[in-house]
Amino acid sequence: MEHIVFGIGITALTGALATVAGAAEDTESNIGSQGDPNSQVQLAPQMGFLHRIFNKAVAGEPPAYGLWCALGAGLAWAFMAMQTNPVLAIVLGCVLATFVQGVYATTAYVGRTASLAKFGQPVYVDILKSMTTVTMAHAFIAIFCTVTLCHLINAALGHPFPLPLLGLIWGIALGAAGSATGNPYYGKERQYQNQKFGAGVPISASGNIVRYAEAGERNSIDNGWFTAKIGGSASGICFGLIVFLELWRTIVFEAINPWYAIIVGVLMILIFTVVDRYIEVWARKNYGPYTVAKEADA
Amino acid sequence: MSAVAAKPQAGGAMNPTAMGVGVVMLLILLGICWYISPVAGLSVLIGVIIGGVLIGFGTHFVPVGGAPAAMGQAPGIATGVAMLAAGAGLAGLFGGAWAAEQGVVVAVITGGVGGGLMMAITCMMVNFVYVFGMGIPSASGKVAKDPITGDTQAEYKSQGTEGHGLPFVSFVGGVIGGILGGAGGTLIYVELLGLYEQALPGVMNVTAAQVMPIAVSAAGMFAVGLFLVNAVLTAYNITGTIEGPHDPKFKRWPRSIVASAVASALCGLVAVLLVVPLPI
Amino acid sequence: MSVKVEVIEGGVPHNKILIAGVISTLVCIYLTYLNVLTGTEMFSFFGGIAVVAALIWGSHTIKVLCSYGIGTGVPSAGMIAFGSGVIAMMLATKFGILAPIVALVLAAIIGFILGYVSNNILNMKIPAMVQALTEMAVVGALSLMGFAALITGGFTFAGLTTGSISVMGMTLLTHQNSFLGGCLIAVAFLLGAIAIQHPFNATLGPGWKQDRMLMLTAECGFLSMIVAAIMSFALISAGSAIISLIVAIIGWAYTYQQYMVLSKRDAAAWLDSKPIPDVEGH
Repeated sequence: MEHIVFGIGITALTGALATVAGAAEDTESNIGSQGDPNSQVQLAPQMGFLHRIFNKAVAGEPPAYGLWCALGAGLAWAFMAMQTNPVLAIVLGCVLATFVQGVYATTAYVGRTASLAKFGQPVYVDILKSMTTVTMAHAFIAIFCTVTLCHLINAALGHPFPLPLLGLIWGIALGAAGSATGNPYYGKERQYQNQKFGAGVPISASGNIVRYAEAGERNSIDNGWFTAKIGGSASGICFGLIVFLELWRTIVFEAINPWYAIIVGVLMILIFTVVDRYIEVWARKNYGPYTVAKEADA
Repeated sequence: MSAVAAKPQAGGAMNPTAMGVGVVMLLILLGICWYISPVAGLSVLIGVIIGGVLIGFGTHFVPVGGAPAAMGQAPGIATGVAMLAAGAGLAGLFGGAWAAEQGVVVAVITGGVGGGLMMAITCMMVNFVYVFGMGIPSASGKVAKDPITGDTQAEYKSQGTEGHGLPFVSFVGGVIGGILGGAGGTLIYVELLGLYEQALPGVMNVTAAQVMPIAVSAAGMFAVGLFLVNAVLTAYNITGTIEGPHDPKFKRWPRSIVASAVASALCGLVAVLLVVPLPI
Repeated sequence: MSVKVEVIEGGVPHNKILIAGVISTLVCIYLTYLNVLTGTEMFSFFGGIAVVAALIWGSHTIKVLCSYGIGTGVPSAGMIAFGSGVIAMMLATKFGILAPIVALVLAAIIGFILGYVSNNILNMKIPAMVQALTEMAVVGALSLMGFAALITGGFTFAGLTTGSISVMGMTLLTHQNSFLGGCLIAVAFLLGAIAIQHPFNATLGPGWKQDRMLMLTAECGFLSMIVAAIMSFALISAGSAIISLIVAIIGWAYTYQQYMVLSKRDAAAWLDSKPIPDVEGH
């Protein structure tokens, strides 16, 4: 019984860490403009819209975060194998992983922008100097929280996978969850803030991202503030729920009977399906259609 | 991530000769495994093939919109298909690995439920952000009516776009994709783990307890590698984006079954050979 | 509307890079065998150089493949390269001194079959696909072998699965504190997979230049070598690890600085705190 209570306590802690990690991850990837929305940052100069956005083209978020978290976990594992205190080991590992992330960010920005020389897009050294440290700081939070939760899962909850492999798994999951939730918010809502609210971006407007905004020329730190409004928290809740519910149903039910854990999992899926359906129907009813529905057309 | 212009290609067509060659290759690989290790190796290889096919097939269900989805121009999730499927499947593998000692059936189903749960939460939060954060309802661009709920789609599509968000059929597709991916990955892992736990002590001359970390890591790494190979092959099959099971591109799945089977058989054979004493 | 990738041809032809890559990678991996011959672990850093050589070759292969527009983006290519490579590499380590050659052959077979499957069964019909996937699987396998040699001092299965741990002053053999036991291979996998696709991904565009991309590959390789060398402190002697670390840091500093110089050469403008330039009509 204490075993289960201890497990639930650790689970709650990992859930909290996961929520922070998700929020930091989405903020970091939007400050760096990483992933699918980055295609617009790349496209804009080709359409004549030069900008001062940080064009961080380092793969997508899942593989990139898979690497940072696996790297942080691997380094932490190595330090722990050298008999270093686990907390210190994790901190050192994450600092080094963040250093690698920062270097990749700078080379990506400089590389992509230099290749757009034909369209006159300049490389702004001051963007490089000011954004890199901000994105590294957010990345550190995300990486540290993820590696810590992996360490807890391995050491306190007894998962068979070694720390680096857990880092890979949860890093990719973190990137996938944060990217899925946060990308449209940044891509549509922020990059195309000048388009009509409440509708997708029409194809004709591609490339026409916002470059002059509330504080003069927009840069990526403004995007970090914007993400914190809802995108970051939504990503945090998403990843936090994923980690917490997965661990909770296992810890509480698997000891009693593994089939209970499976049934609880299926019930959770059904609950989320109902919630999603509710959201979808609410939107249809509340927002209404864009045009009058055509008569039944096959 | 997908910032490449697709060149015109015979994308959707099937190639019967190649499919036939693929089936022949599959049989040859199964034959080699049967020759080397008829009992233990062959059953593990068949498990790996089934797992790989589940991953490849399951990835077709996951709704991915790519770069246009990130602008609200296309429905689906705005991430790369291979990595999104890998994320869900690996989350499932995590849960399945924990239940590995409870037997294959329990572990695989646990893995599937884990993957499905991750996709359910992610898809729900995607719709959450679209509706409450951006004020955009979900609409599909490929069908007039949602096959499951019957909702009409055309009038909820904003002008100049192909649709946006995750209509209910895409949500269900995502969950199914997560379930199949998680189950497939866990099946591969459990089969290989069982084989390595049995065979590595003999090969390395150590006790079973000592060799557990190696067995777990090797099986886990093979599972991750096979996962990525199958997911990327599926991404090639659907040329990067798909709306879900209702998308016409979904009809390309037979090609992927053969492709995943061949790739998984080949990689699974190599994984089995790791513990089989070779005649060389 | 998606971004068009227009890659200007130019520079050293791909086949030259291929041959140079294969030879230098194999030579460097075999140079780590000096560890066995001399009974030390000092030559482990050659594993890292092997990784750099393999990555330079591999990144150019990805450039050749992705110039055709495969529709899925560049990072997937890195993933399939290392996904197939890790499987080949793990089996190849069982063959003792022949391990690198076996890895090359086995990975080539796996890559060739995957290429055939992609091109014909999945109907991608890209001329360079089969050769590219074959090369990428080989690059994946050899890079991982290089990482293994760098971190553990050797490339045989026994070396990858045993490590030592000191308990109360005594050194015991253990399987948990090893390259495979601790699953450091997962870290090497992702290090390589991101490093192989980053150079082309980060330099694509109309202004792509081969020397800039290859310099970036070398920089990514040495950066990966830095963190791998730090991880090797747990598995090989401190002196050898320090050698690897110093080689990696010097290599990284030089290639990073050169990359910045080349980027400055190619960029439209290198501005500090200047406003967005005015363009006609926008």
